Amino acid sequence: MLTKHETIHEPFLIGRRQVLSGLALSGFILGGAHRVFAQARVPVTGDVAALPIAIPNFIAGTPSDGEVSIGVTQVITNNLKRSGLFAPIDQAAYIEKVVNIDTAPQFQSWKAIGAQALVTGRMTRLSNGRLKAELRLWDVATGQQLTGQQYDTSPEYWRRIAHIISDQIYERLTGEKGYFDSRVVFVDETGAKERRVKRLALMDQDGANVRYLTRGSDLVLTPRFSPSTQEITYMEFGQGDPRVYLLNIETGQREIVGNFPGMTFSPRFSPDGQRVIMSLQQGSNSNLFVMDLRSKSTTRLTDTPAIDTSPSYAPDGARICFESDRGGKPQIYVMPATGGPAQRISFGEGSYSTPVWSPRGDYIAFTKQGSGQFSIGIMKPDGSGERILTSGFHNEGPTFAPNGRVLMFFRDPGGNGGPSLFTVDISGRNELRVPTPGFASDPAWSPLLS
Amino acid sequence: MKVKIDKTLAASIALHVLVLGWGLVSFSTKALEVEPEDSVPVDVVSADQLAHVMAGVKSGKKENPKPLVEKVAEAKPVEDAVGKITDKAPVVTDTAPPPQPKPVEKPVEKMPDPPKPVAEAKPKEEPKPVEKKPDPPVDPIAEALKKEEKKPKPPIQAATPPPQLQKPKERTFDQSKIAALLDKRDPARQATTGDTLNSNAALGLSKGKAADNSATWGSLFKQQVDRCWKKPYGGVDAKDFFMEVQVKLRRDGSLEVAPIPLTEPRSSYQRVFLESALRATIECAPYRLPAAFFEEWKDFIPQFSTEERG
Repeated sequence: MLTKHETIHEPFLIGRRQVLSGLALSGFILGGAHRVFAQARVPVTGDVAALPIAIPNFIAGTPSDGEVSIGVTQVITNNLKRSGLFAPIDQAAYIEKVVNIDTAPQFQSWKAIGAQALVTGRMTRLSNGRLKAELRLWDVATGQQLTGQQYDTSPEYWRRIAHIISDQIYERLTGEKGYFDSRVVFVDETGAKERRVKRLALMDQDGANVRYLTRGSDLVLTPRFSPSTQEITYMEFGQGDPRVYLLNIETGQREIVGNFPGMTFSPRFSPDGQRVIMSLQQGSNSNLFVMDLRSKSTTRLTDTPAIDTSPSYAPDGARICFESDRGGKPQIYVMPATGGPAQRISFGEGSYSTPVWSPRGDYIAFTKQGSGQFSIGIMKPDGSGERILTSGFHNEGPTFAPNGRVLMFFRDPGGNGGPSLFTVDISGRNELRVPTPGFASDPAWSPLLS
Repeated sequence: MKVKIDKTLAASIALHVLVLGWGLVSFSTKALEVEPEDSVPVDVVSADQLAHVMAGVKSGKKENPKPLVEKVAEAKPVEDAVGKITDKAPVVTDTAPPPQPKPVEKPVEKMPDPPKPVAEAKPKEEPKPVEKKPDPPVDPIAEALKKEEKKPKPPIQAATPPPQLQKPKERTFDQSKIAALLDKRDPARQATTGDTLNSNAALGLSKGKAADNSATWGSLFKQQVDRCWKKPYGGVDAKDFFMEVQVKLRRDGSLEVAPIPLTEPRSSYQRVFLESALRATIECAPYRLPAAFFEEWKDFIPQFSTEERG
């Protein structure tokens, strides 16, 4: 009987060990796993806040490096503070004096003053005459070094070193590329309102190292950087018609772009720097043209009985945005960079002008005019998400920082005064005036220099 | 030694274990989630006072049997309310208002206004009647009411109103007559709720919430860690996400081990965001949390979110 039974139901043989391990497994499922998933989850929201950061003076590698060490520290502090994302702690509050950057700091004394990040550094003049900069960025809470870098350069470029270090800190603590190591070209304005002298000028993004590029005998407008940052294209009213020029910053060499029988204006480089796109006036209309800088060949992009102007390339070079009054009032349009059908993207009240595509590609900034005010705003390339950042009597000419997070523009308060430059975060926060020697307008931000 | 087990029995056990295990795991995950809660301003009450408040009266009823009533209306027999209304003479409205030729003439007179400066003799044609007339939209009901008002007035106001005062009478609002507008009917409603005032001497309510009228430990933690958290700015387009960190605390609220990141950052911003959360968790320790809930907060998971505080 038994054998027969066995042939009908094949018994399932399990060893004692298997039984025990099976029980243990089910015990884990019933007990242990339950514990793992039983932890309470506490949602923590909070407001965005500037990061408290301590930047003690860089240590002087040799006694003669004291001045440059303090200078570098001040430039870094100023950059981070102006970004609005950092809150540098006043040096007077520091408890510990950093004397050696090769040993870990006493984090307790930095924690005590509320610092969450700490920058230590050293400037040393090398025997070959060059200047060496060393940097360490610390996380005060965990005591970890977040970044450590070393640079060397000619002593006269100490400010650039400070900007590069600022970018390092910014990038490590915000997760975004920095924009401090960049320059701005603008139109410097001096003299009485009716006899204003306008010169092209170049400066660091923080307003330092101002350099004049033209003498001021002719009127200049709309300077724009090439991606290589060595050249500038701009419009100048000379003896004849206003023309688009190309200027090499280093050599001072100048040339006219294109050979058109009329007025050309609002030029801008393509992202690869090989072409310049601009407007050409023909009668009462103007159309967009692009010129290849190598072959000098020109291509017409629009052919409308309207005013098409202010073209600006998308960072991938595939599309352009521009301003056109083909629909009645000036509005912003987007079309393929090779020409073709244009799509209107601005539909708000008032008129839109001076569109400029962000280097990140995510936004187009513009000047909007309506109800007696000039505003600076941004919208997505499909026209959605319009956001006004600042409004007033006269705000115009936005230009993006290399990381696309900050805009610079010029503001004229009216009256007998003159325009000056401002920056604002693309969220609309942190509006700041940029120091310039005189009145200033038409800024254009360079790409990162390094 | 080998144990012989029937195949079907083994399969049955295995399936049961799986199903039960799955049930425990999947249903227990959300059991203890702490909802975001606003803290409630709380008065500090001593244990004695609390006991006093919560004690109630032994002889009291178990629950308030009736809804609260502030005042009890006297039970009155329902009178014939309809009869009172009918005391007044029914208002008779003339559907056809008296013919008014004047309103028709006025617009005609006003139209030729422009030439007025030329011929200034026109204003002489009785400007007063022109002023009086500007009430072309005739409301039959208003007219009827006016008539009714006029009738009883003469006996009362016979002496006072000289003819001059009658001009603005159309729209005057006599404050002394507000009383006339009131419904003078006696209250016709019966007290429908309760006939005795509640003494409120119940032995506490079964759903009494007085004891936990304070912030939960979760929001206490949130408040404390918030002070140290410098949330990095993610730009205008930052997508909402949260980063989980495992926190193990001792009884005194200090960290037992460094906070353990549970979420893998997928971008440089997420990495920076996670670092800021870890930094805040470390910096704000020790935490002051209610000891009664130690079993819950000795090991928990804060979710640091990009969402702005509401």
